[in-house]
Amino acid sequence: MFFHIRLERNLQLHPRFFGPQLRDKLVEKLIHDVEGTCSGRHGFVVAVTGVDTIGKGLIRDGTGYVTFPIHYQCVVFRPFKGEILEGVVTLVNKMGFFAEAGPVQIFVSNHVSLLKFVCSSSFSLNNLESLQLIPDDMSFQSGDVPCYETSDSSVRIQKDSEVRLKIVGTRVDATEIFCIGTIKDDFLGLIGDPTAGA
Amino acid sequence: MANEEEDASELKLGEDFLKEKCLMNAEVAKILQHKYDTANQMSDDPSSQLSQVFEKSFAYVKRFSRYKNPEAVQQVREVLSRNQLAEFEVCVLGNLCPETVEEATALVPSIAKKGRLDDERIEQMLADLARIKTFE
Repeated sequence: MFFHIRLERNLQLHPRFFGPQLRDKLVEKLIHDVEGTCSGRHGFVVAVTGVDTIGKGLIRDGTGYVTFPIHYQCVVFRPFKGEILEGVVTLVNKMGFFAEAGPVQIFVSNHVSLLKFVCSSSFSLNNLESLQLIPDDMSFQSGDVPCYETSDSSVRIQKDSEVRLKIVGTRVDATEIFCIGTIKDDFLGLIGDPTAGA
Repeated sequence: MANEEEDASELKLGEDFLKEKCLMNAEVAKILQHKYDTANQMSDDPSSQLSQVFEKSFAYVKRFSRYKNPEAVQQVREVLSRNQLAEFEVCVLGNLCPETVEEATALVPSIAKKGRLDDERIEQMLADLARIKTFE
């Protein structure tokens, strides 16, 4: 889910930049440092939308660099466990499929054992029995275009399909958030079909 | 690092996000379009300035925007906010556009909790949303 939030940061600036363009330089540095990054707490910072205040600079002892506290607003993307959203399938294999929703990758698994392996204490999945996250009536079809298909071929999930899924767990590492999703519940699954009308 | 108690289906978003402004895909598309246009004007090679996170998010919100008209988005917000919904619920409903009461309560279970909206109000709300979409 996208949010518009206020954050603050301390920026350090070398004295060579002190001059009439000081503020511009600070904003430029902020954007460079923060846009495109990801944290577990706030999610992915997609874009800085404005700067509220830049506080007084504090000269650091011994180095001459100056630290400025800066309050700014930005658009972030933060996935939540239990959230339902739409995404695009990017990769299909016999383990399951990957979908992308904005900057975040979501994996929907076909294999109970794989999920137990991936599941560490940082995922909070309560019921391990419900780990098969693709419906039972869909099976993997390999071939030129690998896909998951129902037995009567009425529903096919392949690369570039649009799917609606629910996030069941999230994990954060140094630079990104990774999610596990399911399409097994009601009203989840394929929405747009790239082969429709073919 | 993720808070173990978080659960969007019960609106447990943690202190950081519960009171924050949520954005629908259509609203994000408008903001990112503006940023993209500014980057285009200021430099010959905008892709050097815009991060991959930006590019992916921009492509995503353009693809999954349910409304083309910004006024329609404004109306959707008004309709949904009239029903005392949390920001997060407003945006999930605005993004996914459920058609039936059953679908809406499956997608956003927190709206049907005891003491909140009854089926009739949800149905009215969805009818209003459908009307906005038809006339957008």
